[in-house]
Amino acid sequence: MSTALTAAPPHTAAGLGRSIAGRIGFLPVLLVALVAGMSAIDAQFYGIINILNILRNASFLAIVACGQALVIIAGGFDLSVGAVVALASVVTAKTMAAVAATFPGNNTVIIASGVAAGLGCGFAVGLVNGLCVAKLKVSGFVVTLGTMSATAGVGLMITSGIPVYGMPEVFVKGFGRAQVFGLPTAVYVALAVVLVTMFAQRRTLFGRYVYAIGGNVEAAVVSGVSIQRHIVGTYAVSSVLAALTGILLTAQVGSGQASLGGDRMMLQSIAAAVIGGVSLRGGVGRVEIVTISALFLTILGNALNLLHIDSRLQPVFLGVIMVAAVALDELSQRRKSRV
Amino acid sequence: MDTNTEATPTGPLLELKGISKRFTGVRALDRVDLDVRAGELHVLFGENGAGKSTLINVVAGTFPPDEGTFRFGGEEIRHLTPQRARAIGISPVFQEFSLVPSLTVEENLFLGREISSKGVLRAREMRKRAQALIGELGFDLDPSKRVDDLSRAHQQMAEIAKALLGRVRLLILDEPTASLTERETGRLFELIARLKSQNVGLIYVSHRLREIRALADRVTVLRDGRHIRTLDAAASTDSELVELMTGRKIDLLFPAIPHKPGKVLVDVENLTLVDGSVRDVNFHARAGEITGIAGLVGCGKSELIRAIYGLEPIAGGVVRIDGAPYEFAAPRRSLKHGVAYFPANRISEGLALSRPIRENASMTVLDLPSFARFGVLRQGAERTTIAAIMEQLQLRPPNIERIAGVLSGGNRQKVMLGRALTRDLTVFLFDEPSVGIDVGAKIEVYEFIKRLVEAGAAVIVVSSELPEVLALSNRLYVMHNGRIAAELTGADKTEQNVLASFFKNHLTAEVA
Amino acid sequence: MSDVELSVTAKDSGYAKLLPRQWLWRAMLPIALLVLLFGFAAVDRGVLSPANLLNIAQQTSYLALFAMAQTVVILTRGFDLGLGPTVSMVSVGTALAMAGATATGHDTGTVLLAGLGAGFGLGIACGLFNGVVIAILGVSPFVATLGSYNIAIGVATTLSAGRPVQGVPKLFSQIFYGGSVLGVPAAIVITVAIGIVLHLMLTRTVFGRSLYIIGTNPRAAAVAGMPVKRVLVATYVLCSALAALGAIMMTARTGSGEPNLGGSLSLQAIAGAVVGGTSLAGGRGGVGTAVLGALFVTILSNGMNLTRIDGYVQMVVLGAIVIIGVLLDRLRLERR
Repeated sequence: MSTALTAAPPHTAAGLGRSIAGRIGFLPVLLVALVAGMSAIDAQFYGIINILNILRNASFLAIVACGQALVIIAGGFDLSVGAVVALASVVTAKTMAAVAATFPGNNTVIIASGVAAGLGCGFAVGLVNGLCVAKLKVSGFVVTLGTMSATAGVGLMITSGIPVYGMPEVFVKGFGRAQVFGLPTAVYVALAVVLVTMFAQRRTLFGRYVYAIGGNVEAAVVSGVSIQRHIVGTYAVSSVLAALTGILLTAQVGSGQASLGGDRMMLQSIAAAVIGGVSLRGGVGRVEIVTISALFLTILGNALNLLHIDSRLQPVFLGVIMVAAVALDELSQRRKSRV
Repeated sequence: MDTNTEATPTGPLLELKGISKRFTGVRALDRVDLDVRAGELHVLFGENGAGKSTLINVVAGTFPPDEGTFRFGGEEIRHLTPQRARAIGISPVFQEFSLVPSLTVEENLFLGREISSKGVLRAREMRKRAQALIGELGFDLDPSKRVDDLSRAHQQMAEIAKALLGRVRLLILDEPTASLTERETGRLFELIARLKSQNVGLIYVSHRLREIRALADRVTVLRDGRHIRTLDAAASTDSELVELMTGRKIDLLFPAIPHKPGKVLVDVENLTLVDGSVRDVNFHARAGEITGIAGLVGCGKSELIRAIYGLEPIAGGVVRIDGAPYEFAAPRRSLKHGVAYFPANRISEGLALSRPIRENASMTVLDLPSFARFGVLRQGAERTTIAAIMEQLQLRPPNIERIAGVLSGGNRQKVMLGRALTRDLTVFLFDEPSVGIDVGAKIEVYEFIKRLVEAGAAVIVVSSELPEVLALSNRLYVMHNGRIAAELTGADKTEQNVLASFFKNHLTAEVA
Repeated sequence: MSDVELSVTAKDSGYAKLLPRQWLWRAMLPIALLVLLFGFAAVDRGVLSPANLLNIAQQTSYLALFAMAQTVVILTRGFDLGLGPTVSMVSVGTALAMAGATATGHDTGTVLLAGLGAGFGLGIACGLFNGVVIAILGVSPFVATLGSYNIAIGVATTLSAGRPVQGVPKLFSQIFYGGSVLGVPAAIVITVAIGIVLHLMLTRTVFGRSLYIIGTNPRAAAVAGMPVKRVLVATYVLCSALAALGAIMMTARTGSGEPNLGGSLSLQAIAGAVVGGTSLAGGRGGVGTAVLGALFVTILSNGMNLTRIDGYVQMVVLGAIVIIGVLLDRLRLERR
């Protein structure tokens, strides 16, 4: 069956290239090509400030994309992540401001309660999403379409559209904008999230069941897997990770804003997942590739900026490349099944 | 494999009484009784649609019965779930595999009962147990392979291994030999003998007489959801069983079809498909004749006719329709050339279930001027024509505005057959024409095929049901592993010769 | 395998038993509409004033057109995420073309033609892109239309340099916005006309029939010889063409080409279609559901505006409505 690859050692460079590409997919190759190309063209690309910038932005996207990937693998869709990012930002800032007023100077309590509130509201939205999908059996697309609008509304209601200030300095300067060993804190958080999610996917019951439910839900039911619990779980994780991103963004920006995240981040998270090999049919996908994909998308945006491609034209490139990447993948899949 | 050898001294292992089950509008089971003893192989015998699948799903806990009692090991069982069923030792092996294609064999084996501590999987231990089990069963199965990379036969082995992991007191096998060769079937039978000696009870679902002869202790016959009779296998005759199963005398099952071969309408030379499911096949079919293709599930017979119709990409070879080469086959062009295909899976490839019968029947002819002019539908003409056709096919009830989804399998097939009468066709490709259809409707389908042949069409019938394809064909091809294993006509067309040809091919393949 | 369709994952959630009979269902949305209208009227009588009712009708026209556009592709199990940016792009393109034609001294007739040509041309190009990528390259509608979303945004902002494009002739605005036929505003006339044509197309032509069958079972449609790929491409072209028409109408209203005209129209239009009863699973829906859904959403936001409910609260309400609407619709299906 798949002896073709091992039985005939590639004699040419092209053959070798093709067999490697076949195993790990196009994405890492594209990424390397992009980085190599940009480094050759523009020295500013590998300047330290730019690299840190890329890593930070990629981290934010990667965290949200991990959660989104889990939901899609289990067969669902989460359109509300962008709105949750905004809501968490706003809630965290407001809570911190309120607690700061009651317990001035007690930074630990202030920050802890702010973070807890932010993650908590993310969890709440995730629960609503998950329960509607699992119990009411409405499609994830529609449910999260609804919660997206509702959540965005709540976020705007709380702030009336104005940024929220009043967070402790140590949160912003000492964490959000800080660097550890030269890397922004966001990068470490992202790494932790990706590693934990990777572990969950490969080595835990939860991860295994998410694949099973997405791959063949009837088989999962017949094997006694609790479908509802796991679906709720994936949506909860997705929203909590989105909330986490909101908190990180808030720490970096310095204020709670209902304009963070939004449609753009939501679409990018799905794009990252899809380009990263997560099948929209469910049951397939690995977060490490999704992370590479998030990195790829971030670098792409950065590259377009540096090339002084009109920022207004950038979305065009993004669109074309995204479609091309997925189309190429589709075509290579078709060829694979023919062997 | 862990078999509970404690014998239940009093009473049977499994006892079902008065089990009924209803799905929207259909009575799948009507007060059925069944009892299975430990160490017995009890065959559930019946046609497709008799209720066998529903009954074993009830036993396996997939869904609860609407009424009736369920006793296992002497205890009354209520609110059974698949997990609980497995826990008490009921292990089903379904026909529609309960495997997740994107997971590996060992991941599937342990699905729902993984060995884990605090949520973290103990992969090494599971691998060890999986390998031990597979070794014990004597299967050549690689536990680390993804299920969708396996052949159908290997998938079935994985399914069986999954059922035998853990404590087994009652094993349910649903048509397990559909895709196995003689050799693999033999190994399965050995396994069954071993399980019987360990006092495991077995429910074996089948509608093949050969298997009953080889394995059964007792047979329970179901028909139309009802329990007809339970007999001792040894004491029953073949014709008795068939009569109980079909409700008719055995010789009335297949109509006599006259054989008047005309010119060659379909000619296939050295055909090889891109995915390798058909290799170097030479085949032809003549007008006025039924050409059958027999073989195990997965041998390539379906793919062959699908390729002729244009649903499978061709890598090499020539297809000729009525003498002229037919290239770049596609469904639309095939229909224009007078070639029609009737898919095996009516639900996924045949009908749009939530659309009315009328639209389903006319799906293939919307390019004809009698049904649409300049892109506008002629709805009056459509209604009259389709109504007349459905009347001719005796669709009951005859309302063509009902949606196809509420029809029984037999009626759905009639809707599909209706397409044969809406346009000029000379070649008919039937893929498993009687699957999922009750006896009465089956006979009507055979009559329909007879009429087509009498009118001079070339009919090709692909079937995994040996008795059916033997009785219907004038000429019979046997396929195995993508190649033609035999071409039989006249007196040579026997079950023995068909089975023998698999074995022969298998040998030559190994030597090569 | 058994004759009976065994539903292992019980698709029946059980709540269907709580609900009233079939005939009541069909009437449910129209009844809800009236309840809503009179509910708001109870708070503010101005809701029922002729001026406001006309306003509602006019507002609905735009959303209904976009909901119809989405419905066409949703019928085939797809959707167009890029509808909003397409609208923006068409608006900008139309205005630019007309400004350019005026500047080069052409007469009004040619100017209008230039505008319409550019507008529909861009729309059709967008539709072709979507259709080809989805039907021929096999990319999922989500990714494909996300791609055209990005491309359209880029084109819109680039062509317009980020600012509104002036130079929309008065005649243009007159025809597509200001004018009226027998006292009925242009927007309503156009939408009703298009609605009628679209309805006839969906119910009486081979193309329309194909949409429903492909949406119900694309595999069966292909096996039966239907030209699935061709139909899908045409469907996305139709969707974008309708969006272009809507964009032209909206541009006539604002009097300039706006690079952000589309805003969040994509999801709003999907929401409108879905609330009205169009099923995302394909094969169900039509002009009626699109119009009803758009009407419902418009009455809701109109009422909320007049009763001075906070804009942000409105978003929450809209979100809840979408979920409830789809839930009820699904339960209605189960009840059958």
